[in-house]
Amino acid sequence: MADVHTATLQTAPAPARQGPAKARGLLLLGLAGIALIAFGPWIFGTYLLNILIKAFFFAIVAVTVDMLWGYTGYLTFGQSAFFGLGAYAAGLVFTHAGFSISTALAALGLAIAGTALVGALVGWLSFYRGASPFFATVISLVLPIVLTQLLLSGGAWTGSSSGLTGYETFDLPLEAWYWIAGTALALVALLGWLIVRSDAGRVLTAIRDNESRCTYLGIRTSQVKIILLSATAVVAGLAGFGYGSFSGVVAPELSGFVLGTEFIIWVALGGRGTLWGPLLGAVLISVVSAYLSSSMPFAWQLVLGCAFVFVIVLLPQGLVPLLLRPLHRSGPGAFEPALIERIARPQTGRPAAAPALVLQGVAKHYGHLKVLQGIDLAAEEGQLVGLIGPNGAGKTTLMRCMSDGAERTAGGVNLCGHDIRTLPPEECVRFGLGRKFQNANIFDTLTVAACLRIAGTILERPSLFTRSPTLALPSYALEVVRTTGLAGKLSAVAKDLSHGEQQALELAMVLALEPKVVLLDEPTAGLTKTERTQIGRILSSLALHHGLCCLLVEHDLDFVQEIATRIVVLHQGLIVMQGSFEEVVHSDLVKTIYAGSAHAAPEAA
Amino acid sequence: MVFLLDWLTTAAMLFIVTAGLMMIFGVMKIVNFAHGALLTLGGYASFVVTQLRLDPWLSWPLALLAGVVVGCVVEAVIVRPLYKRPLDAILATWGLGIVIGQLIVIAFGRGVQFVDAPLQGTWSIAGLPYSAYRLVLIPVALGLCALLTGLLNGTRFGVKTRAVIMNEELARGLGIHSGRIRFVTFALGAGIGTLAGALITPLSSVDPDMGLPWLVGAFMLVMVSGHSMFSLLVTCLVFGACQVLVSTYLSPVLGGLTIAVLAALMLRIRPQGFAHG
Amino acid sequence: MTQALLQLKDVSSGYKASLVLRKLSLSVASGEAVAVLGKNGMGKSTLLKTIMGYLPKASGAVHVGGLDITRHGPHRVARAGIAYAAQEHALFTELSIRDNLRLALAKESAFDERFSEIESVFPVFKTRLKQFAGTLSGGEQKMLLVARALMMRPAIMLLDEITEGLQPSVIERLAEALLGERKKRGTTMLLIEQNVPFALKVSDRFLILKQGEIVDEGSAKAATAVQRIFDHLRV
Repeated sequence: MADVHTATLQTAPAPARQGPAKARGLLLLGLAGIALIAFGPWIFGTYLLNILIKAFFFAIVAVTVDMLWGYTGYLTFGQSAFFGLGAYAAGLVFTHAGFSISTALAALGLAIAGTALVGALVGWLSFYRGASPFFATVISLVLPIVLTQLLLSGGAWTGSSSGLTGYETFDLPLEAWYWIAGTALALVALLGWLIVRSDAGRVLTAIRDNESRCTYLGIRTSQVKIILLSATAVVAGLAGFGYGSFSGVVAPELSGFVLGTEFIIWVALGGRGTLWGPLLGAVLISVVSAYLSSSMPFAWQLVLGCAFVFVIVLLPQGLVPLLLRPLHRSGPGAFEPALIERIARPQTGRPAAAPALVLQGVAKHYGHLKVLQGIDLAAEEGQLVGLIGPNGAGKTTLMRCMSDGAERTAGGVNLCGHDIRTLPPEECVRFGLGRKFQNANIFDTLTVAACLRIAGTILERPSLFTRSPTLALPSYALEVVRTTGLAGKLSAVAKDLSHGEQQALELAMVLALEPKVVLLDEPTAGLTKTERTQIGRILSSLALHHGLCCLLVEHDLDFVQEIATRIVVLHQGLIVMQGSFEEVVHSDLVKTIYAGSAHAAPEAA
Repeated sequence: MVFLLDWLTTAAMLFIVTAGLMMIFGVMKIVNFAHGALLTLGGYASFVVTQLRLDPWLSWPLALLAGVVVGCVVEAVIVRPLYKRPLDAILATWGLGIVIGQLIVIAFGRGVQFVDAPLQGTWSIAGLPYSAYRLVLIPVALGLCALLTGLLNGTRFGVKTRAVIMNEELARGLGIHSGRIRFVTFALGAGIGTLAGALITPLSSVDPDMGLPWLVGAFMLVMVSGHSMFSLLVTCLVFGACQVLVSTYLSPVLGGLTIAVLAALMLRIRPQGFAHG
Repeated sequence: MTQALLQLKDVSSGYKASLVLRKLSLSVASGEAVAVLGKNGMGKSTLLKTIMGYLPKASGAVHVGGLDITRHGPHRVARAGIAYAAQEHALFTELSIRDNLRLALAKESAFDERFSEIESVFPVFKTRLKQFAGTLSGGEQKMLLVARALMMRPAIMLLDEITEGLQPSVIERLAEALLGERKKRGTTMLLIEQNVPFALKVSDRFLILKQGEIVDEGSAKAATAVQRIFDHLRV
């Protein structure tokens, strides 16, 4: 174990060297951007200023698309719909009610309220339990099409295919518009940047990497996505409002899916998941398109299309990060918080006598196939129950039924006195359940520290704009992190860890939830002998010293013998025996189940 | 009566347009977003036939051939490398659709064109005159359904394809070259898509964006429908009826949206669609 | 005569970051039947899946009669003459018995001839060819698996727990079928088994897998075989 510690100490300094380089690169970029915004009117001609203003508004939407797609994994063609809504809010109000301070405010209010509402609606439609990402994407395609059709059939009210033109709008010089648009873009970019690197922003990446794990950490992922969509819808709507107010012309193309896909193309080419890549991509491509659209319209679109396909197939990270690689190396950054202990929260709202886990008559059928039948099981805190049985006995199904209210076909499950009914995993987790999966179920692209912090989300709300310098974990989670050497690898990316370390990380994440009941599915799978001994010691102490109720499914009977206080044998969906290890192991019934008729053979021979 | 004919011919058109997409979705589990461009390609195949003053019936085989060739290239170059990244596969096929669209614009210009229908005039059904070509689409759709069902259920290729659809890993373990099956299926699905474009073109017109309105509707139908060609036919009948009802009694614009909206709501409430749960 | 038909050298493989098989070496002679025994989760199924090419090999090589199949995908391995019966999801439940059987054949035309051969071993299928495989009982499904493997006339059969859940009479029939096949065609076999008497009856040799490594092996017909195995599998 001493070797492990020195090894990790040696790797720690390397990431820190990257940090300053990356920060420097971004700082330069940011300063250049601010300079261009501040001094633009003196550098650029009128035509270019005009294009840039529109490009800035588009770039704001591109940033929102990156947050939705690059960071959260939601491929959306529909942000243009919100952009169009905002633009038409301006156009409609100014055309039909004239222009004044009050109508401008009304239009603004309409843009915000309208986009928030539609965003929430689309979110409800797209993000729900078991939703497929395809479906969400197709909905995002349907949205702009529906909106465009509605606008086209709006007659004189919406101006149909020609849109609304010539309405009175804010009387500002070109330079003022340029500064407004530029500043808005800078603000949105800054805000976005703060959010994505904040602790809360990491949750978005976690959802993209492994949504199921998030739900098993109690995070209400559907809610998060709906809120994010509504917020970005409002931002896109405001950008549209600005565009509509500036240009004095709104047409159905602003809300159509052609524009929606252009945003995707800019983000893909610019570099999804980087924020500044899409920003640059949007601005550059818009400007170049404007200049080339007159001279070689078709060829340029063709080039863009080909570049897009090329990038998707061969360079998924995008072009801009590739071109700027000399400036910095991509990665989540070398930020490493300090580990501190969190005092476990007091037990509230739970009847003292209620056992940690109760199953009554739990059954699971797939049509005629009965996987589980009439399971009655109870476990108290401080117990370590080993669940054994041959393959196909239904062990993993049983675990699923305990952690997800919608799984079972019949019977009742009680967690710490709460009936889980048909509640989804995120609610079951909030009753005090933690589940560790068989294959290390973690967030591949996040650091160890980020994984651990996200694990504690429901207990400590992560900050929306900052990164906390400390990471608090309950004592038993800290123990896991320290004994397995993860404490020295806080800034290592999760997918670079060894299998044993990943298993340890997932266990620490589950423990960070301060669960009362921990379900472990084959925790020793793929571990070396040393790692297995370590885990065994940790699990024993969890039950004995910290009073957790642990239930583990295991094949390694030697391991189970060492640590379990009780054994439950599952066979063909029924509990056939419960008792201490000695009782179970020496029973004829269990021997028959496990070794077929192997036991009979020596007698026959 | 007119309603009945409108309903049946609309359902037929929907089926023809969606069949190719369904084949690809079933086997490869990805939605081919280039489908709209393939429809457009088929439309322009018809246009070429018209321009060359050839027999309009030739547009069908020409379109089929064009689609198969394009499908072969696309599967090898774009879809196969993205086997493990399905969302990116959608994007890449979308980008491809854009590229094809631009190539068509460069070759034929942006204007709206008209093609000669293989069958002109009207037929009299129960005393009512109705577009002959439109009516022909009903037996064409039924024939296509029968042909594809026969292919999938009756031939060795078909049973191998169904095996790959059900359990690709098992199929491979039995010696079935699933890569080849995917290749052929994609090319075939693309060919049917282009053929569909040629089939529906005489009823409206040809322009570089003609395929796009069908795209979303086709996806929704594929996602709602069960897993067989027959269930797709049923789905098209059901949604076709809704579309015609809304178009006739409310407005054609809303009619165009009916399929997308209804299917979205249905999938939200019952994610398996018409498939057995 | 005793050259190795199937040979693994220092093969390591596993899932994502975890290695299940660790530098495993194994040799099966042509016509030999080897039983792979061991407790659950010790890497037995992984071994077969690795040979079949479902899992990439982190290191090592697999040879079949001189042909290097290390990099081959499952369908090429199957075509090289290996029939594999997996433990789970091994049949197309929504296809008929006939379809399940004919899919395994390279040539459609050979179906009738080959089916008539195995008919006597599995008479139950003759009249039920059109029945869906998913409606068969568990025992019948396992029998179908073996029938399918036999019809392939493979050089090597890889069988993963085919006696699981079967009645003793059926197990007896399967043992006879496999022994008959070995006698008639000298098919090489690698069987994963939990049922030790069956495994010893059908095989020449046994080996015991633990934590992805071979910890013991010996002749299946030796008097001490059963005791040694039982010691390892002690529950």
